[in-house]
Amino acid sequence: MTVLILTREEDVTADMVVVHLNATGVPVVRLDPADLTDGVSLSGEFVHGTFRGHLSAGGRLVSIGGLRSVWVRRPGVPAARAATPSAWLTEEASQALYGMLRGCDARWMNHPDAARRARHKPWQLRLAQRCGLPVPATLITTFPQAAREFAERYPDLVVKPVSGAHPQDPPRAVPTSRVAPDTDFSAVAFGPTLLQRRVAKKADIRLTAVGERLLAARKAVAEDAHPDEVDVRFARDDAPWRPVEVPPRLASAVRAYLRDAELAYGAFDFAEDGDGMWWFLECNQSGQFGFVEVDTGQPIAHSVAGWLARPGPSAAAVPHQRRRRGGALSADQ
Amino acid sequence: MQPFALNYARPAAELEATTPYVYDSGRQLNVLFDGRIAARDHALMRELGTTTSTAGSKTHFDD
Repeated sequence: MTVLILTREEDVTADMVVVHLNATGVPVVRLDPADLTDGVSLSGEFVHGTFRGHLSAGGRLVSIGGLRSVWVRRPGVPAARAATPSAWLTEEASQALYGMLRGCDARWMNHPDAARRARHKPWQLRLAQRCGLPVPATLITTFPQAAREFAERYPDLVVKPVSGAHPQDPPRAVPTSRVAPDTDFSAVAFGPTLLQRRVAKKADIRLTAVGERLLAARKAVAEDAHPDEVDVRFARDDAPWRPVEVPPRLASAVRAYLRDAELAYGAFDFAEDGDGMWWFLECNQSGQFGFVEVDTGQPIAHSVAGWLARPGPSAAAVPHQRRRRGGALSADQ
Repeated sequence: MQPFALNYARPAAELEATTPYVYDSGRQLNVLFDGRIAARDHALMRELGTTTSTAGSKTHFDD
């Protein structure tokens, strides 16, 4: 049975997994939905109470019923590179592709429904709380007065996008940024604003979860780092990530999070404070991992490949799929 | 009328326009111009930053 990988051609992180799958002889079909209908083709037939579907890409043809797993890595917008792209064609292509795939028995990393829900940061924060992960005091509001009062209670704040998205037109990045004590919060009225108590961190933690396997890496904050430099993604410090053990209680909480979020993969960001406590910041359901593996040598790509390569669709279905079929839940993801 | 968070925006740093590898649809992998698999060259990937947490931010929510 075949592993289907949905991602862009330039995704070298996906390459790291393909290399492992190739080494074990597991069939792989990799395609970018953006290439529907120029380079990627699909067909599905619902006749006499049965379904037979096929995908074709790069000269490979795969039966949808023959998929063991689907890895939704970094797919492009369906039909975005069609000869005559349009919003209508994108919707048509999206419904055809994902609609057929949703009907198959393959295991997902991650299922589109779980992935969509898991992207909501407010939902992440609440789930993290429920799972026992420490969450810094956070406010999401369009009330300037609420922001002012929150800043009085927590004078040392950071601001970050609610969605994590970066604005285009023109392209800009919105790093997590420290908010000055005398800040004017009037503009909070013009868009939902996420304010969070700044964790005086000693290190950033990236915990990559692949099924039951947890691989954590730690990047120490430089002694001379400026306190305004709070977003590790934009830090000038080039200190490497180092492997770190996951505290047992935290590991249990993370596994509970994954179970409740119905995720087979998640990249958790924590801030480690002076007492060694890991504060939950977010969980990226399709977060990058290549940069961690390059630094630490941790077998993340190997773990992803192993999860995707597990035999048989229904025997190891993730809870999301079992629930949809009315079956019992289990924690075998 | 600009949302508060955008007061902290900065120009996006574009990745290098050209990368020293190209996608090989037959192998389903990106390969270097000398035929080696790009993903096996960790030093190069570190240098290019194509696997980092900001590499996909332009088009994806998940870092």
